[in-house]
This record gives sequence, C-alpha cells and structure tokens, in this order.
Amino acid sequence: MDELEFRRRIYADPETTDSEVVEAAKADDSKRHFWNEQKQLDKQLKQALKVDVPDDLANKLIWQQSADEFTRYKRRSRWYLAMAASVAFTVGIALTMWHHKPISIGGQALAHMQYAEMEHAHSLLPVDLNMVNAKLASFGASFNEMLDGVEVANYCHLSTVRSLHLIVDTPQGKMSVFVVPERGDVTVPSEFEDKQYRGESLKLQRANVMIVGDKDADLSEMKEAVAKRIQFSA
Amino acid sequence: MFSRNKIDNSQVLSSMKAKHQRYEALVKAFHADIYRYAYWLVKDQSVAEDIVQETFLRAWRSLDALNDEKAAKSWLITILRRENARRFERKQFDTVDIDDVSIHDETQHADGDLKDRELQRLLGGLSVEYREPLILQLIFGFSGEEIANQLGLNKNTVMTRLFRARNQLKEALEKPNEQRGRVNG
Repeated sequence: MDELEFRRRIYADPETTDSEVVEAAKADDSKRHFWNEQKQLDKQLKQALKVDVPDDLANKLIWQQSADEFTRYKRRSRWYLAMAASVAFTVGIALTMWHHKPISIGGQALAHMQYAEMEHAHSLLPVDLNMVNAKLASFGASFNEMLDGVEVANYCHLSTVRSLHLIVDTPQGKMSVFVVPERGDVTVPSEFEDKQYRGESLKLQRANVMIVGDKDADLSEMKEAVAKRIQFSA
Repeated sequence: MFSRNKIDNSQVLSSMKAKHQRYEALVKAFHADIYRYAYWLVKDQSVAEDIVQETFLRAWRSLDALNDEKAAKSWLITILRRENARRFERKQFDTVDIDDVSIHDETQHADGDLKDRELQRLLGGLSVEYREPLILQLIFGFSGEEIANQLGLNKNTVMTRLFRARNQLKEALEKPNEQRGRVNG
C-alpha cells in the first residue's frame, strides 16, 4: 500500500481495523508514526468537540416534555368538553324536535268529550249564532246558520292547539264539535275512538272539524250539517 | 363497565409511565452528544439549544415510533437534521450563510486550554459538508457506512470528505503562521 493510499485510509478513519492498513503500518515505521500522530490528533479533536453542555439542558428537556403533555392533555380535555357540550346540544335539539313532532289530537278530543258534561254546568248563558261566530272569527270562520242544539261554545286547548269546542245536544245524544285551525305540526286523524266515544274529522279549507259522539252514534249527519254551515272569510 | 375502565386506566397510566421513563432515559443518554452535534452543526449555542429542545419535543411526541433502542441515536440525529433544515427554511431571509462567517464564541471556551481552542477554531472553519461527517464520526463513533446512511450519501463520498476534513485540519495545524480558520478544499 502506497503512502498516499495509507494516509487516505487513516484520515478517513483513524480507528480503522482494516488488515491491509494494519499490515502496512507494521511494515513501515514512518506509517506507524503517522498513524499514531493521527490517533493523537483525533483524541484532541474529540476533546475539543466536547463543548460545555448547558447545565440544565437535560432538566429543560424533561420539563418541556411535561409541559407539552400538559397542554396536550388540556387540549384533549377541552376536546372532551366540546364533545360533551355537543352531545348536550344535540339532545336538546332532539328533545325540542320531539316536542314539536306532529301532534295527533284525536285522543285529546276524546278526553275533552269526557269533560263535556262538566263544561255544560258552568255555562248557563244561551248560546246563539252571534256568540259562536264571535268565537269562530279568530279562526277566520263563521257559521251562516246556527246549528241546532248547541249548548256550550268555548275555546279549549287540544294539546297546544287552541280550538273551539261546541257541545251539541242531538237526538243521538251529546256530541262535540271541535273547530281546529290548520297547523303544520298538527295531524288530525280522520277517525278515532276509545271505549266510550268515537270521532270523525272533516278537512275544510282552513280548519279541521272533529265531530265526537257516542260510540254507536251516526256522526255523518252532524258532519254534513257543519260542512254546510261553516264558511271562511277570504 | 367500571371495572374495565379501571383496568384500562391503569394500563394507560402504566404505559404512560413507561413512556416517561423511556423518554427520560433517552434525554439522559443522548442530550449531551446531541447538543454538541447541534452546536457543531450550527456553531451557535442558543440556536443549538433551541434545535435540541425542538428535537426532543418531536422525539417525545413520536416516541412510540421508536421501536429499536439501538436506533435511538440515529433517530434523534435524523430529527435534529430535519429541525435544522426547517430552521433554515424559516430564517432564509434573516440570516447570513453560516459557512461564510467564522463566528466563534470565545467566552464559551475560555476555560478550555489553548490547544482545544485552536482546534475548535479550525473545526468551526471547516465547511459544513466536511465538518458534519467528521463530528458524526468523532462524537457518535459512527462508521463510514453509518455516516453514509445518516446523511444519505454514498460511502465513498463520506470517506473522501472525512479524509479531506482531516487533511485540511492537518495542513492548517502545520502552517501556524498563515491565516487559518477557513480552508478551501
């Protein structure tokens, strides 16, 4: 191995264990000397490279890691909080929607029917066409002719829908006529019943009319009578 | 449900604890060498410290990706080099090329002996492409092959650079009367 190649290899790696290099050094004093010199220089270089490390660096590195973890943990819990808030919000919305889901008021009408008798008691004034029309006016409706046998005319709330409740005495027993204004979230079943009463409804221009009577009563006559008399202002 | 949560929690805690221990071991074992490597790469103490902090922070965040403890050294070096490159991108416009200016902080090494200071000045004067393989070899004891892998160079290039680095140092040391510090190879 020539001098230049030897130096090349030593310069590249003074710690080399390459057998060629080792052999060449054994055979040549000046090469050995050069190698030792270079090893010596490397030792000094290693020493020189050992610049002071800031005293607290290791602690800083550990500290910043905990700080990072803490902020991430905080961020994570904020994330959970946001999640919880979001869930609560969704539940809230869902409940509201559920409340607003279309109300079927057939059952309500039946329930009101059961109170018809009591209603009767505290309404001693005779009911005439003017009075009924005055009350119907808020729905934009009126009767052009009085129904026979109306005993009570009162507003009542079927669920949340304000409607006019007429109690009518007929040859087939007491009947209730509900005039229910049209509302998007309210569905009026065309027929409904319970153990005691049954009802049918009549869909009109701007309102629904429900007729409720005894279970075995024929409601068609009353339906017809109402349909014939009720009219809506433009 | 509750007992399962408890178990999960304690598992999470103990794995968290293990992770902390790993991280602290990593810091203790490598912070000095990594700092020195950074210092010799950028030749500025505070910049070096910043880079090292950023490096270890990233190391912490992706500690799970480190499977082989033996690879830790070169993993950290890789992160550090990336951090340094990022710093260059960021500071492209407000720094001068570090290799054009031989800055040396004398106060840092005032306690070192004369020979150390002389060598430090010479090392600082090497261009970074020669200096970096040399410090990887001297600080971390990397072989030519390991340096080549670390720097993405081929081994012959690395050997040539190591040779030139030492050659330049040697020449500079042998010509004490000439202006030294920056040697063009």
